[in-house]
Amino acid sequence: MATKTDTSISRRSFLKWSGAATAAAVAGGQAPVLHSLAYTGEKSTGSEPEYHFSACGMCLNKCGLVARVENGIVTKLDPNPKFLKSRGMLCARGNAGTSQLYDPDRLKYPLLRKGERGEGRWQRLSWDQALDLAAEKLTKIGEEYTRCGVLFTPGSDMQSQFVHWFAEVFGSYNVTTHESNCLLSRNRAYLDTFGEVPFADVLHSKYIIMAGANRFESIITPDSIDLMTAMKKGCKLVVLDPRFTKTAALAHEWFPIRPGTDMSFFLAITHVIIHEKLYDEKYAQEKLYGLDKLTEHVKKYSPEWAAKVCDIPAKDIRRIAQELAAAAPAAMIYPGRRTSDYVNSTQIRRAMAIANALLGNWDKPGGLLAARMVGTTGPELPEAPFYDDNPDDRLDHGSAHIMFDEEGSFKHTRDAIIAGKPYPVKGWFTYKINPLQSVANRRKTLEMIDKLDFMLTVDIAMSDTAWMADLVLPAPSYLERQDPAAGLQGSSACACVVTRDPVVPALFESKPVFWILRELAGRMGLEEYFSFTMEEYREQQLRKLPDSERALREDGVYYNPSKLYGIYEGKIYKTKSQKIELYNERYAEMGLDPMPVCKPLRENVPSDRFRMVVGRNAYFTHCTTQNNTLLNELMPENTLWIHPNPAKKLGIRDGGTVILSSKSGEGELKAELKKGIREDTVYMASGFGVLSEGLTNVFGKGACMAEILEDFTDELSGNMAMHETIVKVARKGAS
Amino acid sequence: MKTQLAMVIDSSSCIDCKACMVSCKVENKVPGGYWRNWVKQREPRFGKIPGAKDPAAQAEGCRTWIIQAPDFDKVKGYGDPGSMHFQPGGCMHCANPACVQACPTGATYKDEKDGTVRLNDKLCIGCGCCIPACPYGARYRHPEKKIVDKCDFCAKRRERGELPACVITCPTKARTFGNINDPESDVARLVKENKTVRVVNEETDTEPNMYYVLTTAPMNWPRKAESPTPIRWWASLAKPLVWAVVGLNALGVLVMFGKQLIIKDEETEK
Repeated sequence: MATKTDTSISRRSFLKWSGAATAAAVAGGQAPVLHSLAYTGEKSTGSEPEYHFSACGMCLNKCGLVARVENGIVTKLDPNPKFLKSRGMLCARGNAGTSQLYDPDRLKYPLLRKGERGEGRWQRLSWDQALDLAAEKLTKIGEEYTRCGVLFTPGSDMQSQFVHWFAEVFGSYNVTTHESNCLLSRNRAYLDTFGEVPFADVLHSKYIIMAGANRFESIITPDSIDLMTAMKKGCKLVVLDPRFTKTAALAHEWFPIRPGTDMSFFLAITHVIIHEKLYDEKYAQEKLYGLDKLTEHVKKYSPEWAAKVCDIPAKDIRRIAQELAAAAPAAMIYPGRRTSDYVNSTQIRRAMAIANALLGNWDKPGGLLAARMVGTTGPELPEAPFYDDNPDDRLDHGSAHIMFDEEGSFKHTRDAIIAGKPYPVKGWFTYKINPLQSVANRRKTLEMIDKLDFMLTVDIAMSDTAWMADLVLPAPSYLERQDPAAGLQGSSACACVVTRDPVVPALFESKPVFWILRELAGRMGLEEYFSFTMEEYREQQLRKLPDSERALREDGVYYNPSKLYGIYEGKIYKTKSQKIELYNERYAEMGLDPMPVCKPLRENVPSDRFRMVVGRNAYFTHCTTQNNTLLNELMPENTLWIHPNPAKKLGIRDGGTVILSSKSGEGELKAELKKGIREDTVYMASGFGVLSEGLTNVFGKGACMAEILEDFTDELSGNMAMHETIVKVARKGAS
Repeated sequence: MKTQLAMVIDSSSCIDCKACMVSCKVENKVPGGYWRNWVKQREPRFGKIPGAKDPAAQAEGCRTWIIQAPDFDKVKGYGDPGSMHFQPGGCMHCANPACVQACPTGATYKDEKDGTVRLNDKLCIGCGCCIPACPYGARYRHPEKKIVDKCDFCAKRRERGELPACVITCPTKARTFGNINDPESDVARLVKENKTVRVVNEETDTEPNMYYVLTTAPMNWPRKAESPTPIRWWASLAKPLVWAVVGLNALGVLVMFGKQLIIKDEETEK
């Protein structure tokens, strides 16, 4: 970034770039300010601050940021005003990045477990000792149990692709990721309807129904920001959620739907749209497959029928369907992200996708958008070696009807490791992911770890997962390392590329996972597969974008001016019928419901029990930022949301301790009496009740979500089903 | 006209993500347990929806609420008191600041250049008289520095030509900042184009420079500015004393300032 004084920017004129202007105007206006670094007034520090572009790593949005460095210390992170995907903002977590960098709880050097697992006795190793040991253990497991005997679990990180590559050249197909705990069921449903997973053009929408998503608290850029902008322009937001989230609070209408019954609502919406002929018939003729079958199928799914199932009045369902159709095609059922909720979550999302299809919103402003061209290319890597003693398939192969091979299912993989079938897995490599906290049924994850000979964790801090490992290797934060380029889809905002270079040198003895994997490869005779440097890798990624190097240097982001709407004009859909599939032939062939069929819930909630739901807030990313000092202050521990009526019956008062138990486990936490939750539902935030004493802010606080949740999965995708758990709540001390 | 820096806040845009609070905390090194700014919220009034009174809905067994948020298209008087909203705030840099009156040493003052209410660290004795004087609770005693701390609209950032930390970071741009006396500014334009209110305590209107756009009902929370009589008496006595003590010191500082300015000017000429 330039450090030259831009004298044309007076100290007064910056006021013109105040925040109320549109995001784009702010983006344009504020940018020169950042170049006018040489302020000539009173100096408080010894040297001028330096400014560096980077991409935030506190969650997976990768928002563009400008880091201010004074005397070698990162003192402030501000949004990169030129970064359109985040509309030039940085959220609470983004602002708390300095606290991750300078966290006293950070891992400082390689640690080898000395005592029992979870006992917390560690021996400091040198990097050479640690890497020699890891290479020896992984090689031994590979020789004894085949290369597939090692499971690799990378989190969502810009360097995770190297863990995938290492697994491939090491020879294991057993790679599970964050996705099977998150959005696989949505991806499945939209792939099997439109042939592609869409991006929501929230900004230009006139009517949005949001079910099973909490976009104002679970921030996704640009959707979260665009939602507010759209509402200011008159977009109507209807929220279905058993819980009064902040999204519900700001919506025009909130319906506390009976949990797990969203499908009935959307089938009824479809019923109204079809039977009142509220769709575009010409469009339907050209683009949709199976409308006749769907028409017949949804006949019985009237709003009156749905009202009894989902607890939303029939006349409101009918009215909402009419309003939605009137706003089409700039209207949508928001596709959501984390859709890991029920055993039929793919079919629930199919019902939503089908309603979207009838709105004719695909590839149109205010509707669902196809992926835009970003232009980054995969680097040319040598062909991975073939190991002929390896088993035929992944460990979890065939455990769900239509799994994603590259993502797998953590839950099914875990079950297979515990059973030792179809073959044993004895090694586990995790990178920046915390299944001990995030994956339902913690006891089973502990049982799985008991089956292992060697577990290696690379992370920034002593997460619960690191706490259980044999070898823990310290990674630097996103502000201290060089990363590959990442292409990002930003809905109607942009298609862009970001990257990272170190803002400050890595602290302590921390080393990036790329370096760790290269070192391991070198020790295991695989060095030819890791012979490239990060610069070379990035150059290859950007080789078809000649302007990107300059843009990344000067603006911190590269935009590809690729086509946004009308990508599908004159093109076929990537489905079997080459149309948008209301009726899915492939499902029919496999004996699955080709159209979503509303079935009773797996388990109804008995009157003395509750359904537990989980969900995000704006301060925590999954189970990773709860221990961040700045963020922890916003929520020092999690509470159990419970409605005052059942609480009164159980003698539970606000702030009193309750015992929460399920078939999986139990936990103790404080009750928070909330009118904004259904009487049959309770809620808690994730990431507390930790095992690790290395997380000093949260250790001993709250209860662990993973301990309480039972591990059901979506039958189609193998995605986790996190809202299937029925819990008992009791006042502590009550008999 | 004199510069008066001000903030215009559209509470209906606020999603309560608390980015402004964390951004401020990092920028101004605010210690744990304290804040220079905040987001307050109006609790919703939950009720059964109109639908629940509807016999048909009752027959269906629905127990459903709807919270109707205020209409974004038009300002409906004072908004809908039944709906929830989030209200960002901070020091309101009042035109008639009770904290300045309550300060016995003159450490707290109204900056003539930009109209901000500032605190001179060197003069503050940490007595805390200004803390209850602020109707908004915008001041706290810094646990390590043992003096009072408050928002200064990010003076250091402004010197560098940057927006205040809370403004630049806000995802939904709920906070707008600028010179309210400059008709060309965004804040002046917003105040001109929208109905706005200032949140004050009825008994002690300190004429705050924080304007709330009337898309949401304002919340009535500011407390009465407390300034006990003995303090006022003491203040009138102590102020000249303290000034006398620090006078020489301040003179020295001024000389240094002057020197620096001269040196700077020379540098610029080069």
